[in-house]
Amino acid sequence: MSASLAPECNEVKEKYDNCFLKWYSEKFLRGTATSDECEPLFKQYEQCLSKALKARGIDSMLKEAREDNRENDAEHMRPKR
Amino acid sequence: MKIFQQSSEFDYSWEEVSTGNWRKYGPWNEKTPHVIAVDTLSRTVDPITGILRTERLITCKQSTPKWLNTIMGGQDTSLVYETSYVDPAVKKVTMCSMNVTLSDLLSVRETCIYQPSSSSPTGKTNFQQRAEITAFCGGWQKIRNSIEQFTVDRFQQNAARGKEGFEMVLEKAREVFAEQREMLRYQQESRILQEVRI
Repeated sequence: MSASLAPECNEVKEKYDNCFLKWYSEKFLRGTATSDECEPLFKQYEQCLSKALKARGIDSMLKEAREDNRENDAEHMRPKR
Repeated sequence: MKIFQQSSEFDYSWEEVSTGNWRKYGPWNEKTPHVIAVDTLSRTVDPITGILRTERLITCKQSTPKWLNTIMGGQDTSLVYETSYVDPAVKKVTMCSMNVTLSDLLSVRETCIYQPSSSSPTGKTNFQQRAEITAFCGGWQKIRNSIEQFTVDRFQQNAARGKEGFEMVLEKAREVFAEQREMLRYQQESRILQEVRI
């Protein structure tokens, strides 16, 4: 998997990515996912990453991008049946 | 504004493509060294629709020509915010991206869609990509045009490399999957052999 922009988060990121890939291919795509067993790993990774984003001032840039993305959410979160 | 648009097909099932998509910029891809990091910002499954929504931050590092470098203030690292939506019920992946850095100068908005191919829904996957590129520099039409043209050209090059790299990832994933299956089979067989011995 790919690296993190914050090298100090690489280790936990790799663990999370591997967990997610397994969950995605073996459960989510087969429609048998009932819970997210990767959540604890994601929490650890998120904690590490959010520090790095804050320290580099990226968190405020992301806020703007999220605002701009609202239309996409509205369009693509709708079920298309 | 300039538009870049293309569509193509992958000789892999939608399940393989949508899984491989998460590894697109990993070590199996040797064609896109400009993508140096991919971080997941959030991930949720909508309890009603079952759609998986993921936010990622993609870090790129690519040199730019001198004239553009001056305008960009010497920055060679850029950030892209991507939101993707996977609807497993209709087998559709939609990825929307926009630039986070240099957003005062330029807007790059891209949408990519992966869906089972209509000609071969179980074996092939259709890929559609569309990007809109707009430069903002007041009345400087000439500079605006040059920036947009450069960005479209760069986008096209990266898209071609991206597809080549993704093909490598898909091939490798199929190989590894086959190996794993083989190994599992050996393990099971040897277990049988063990029991026979006992």
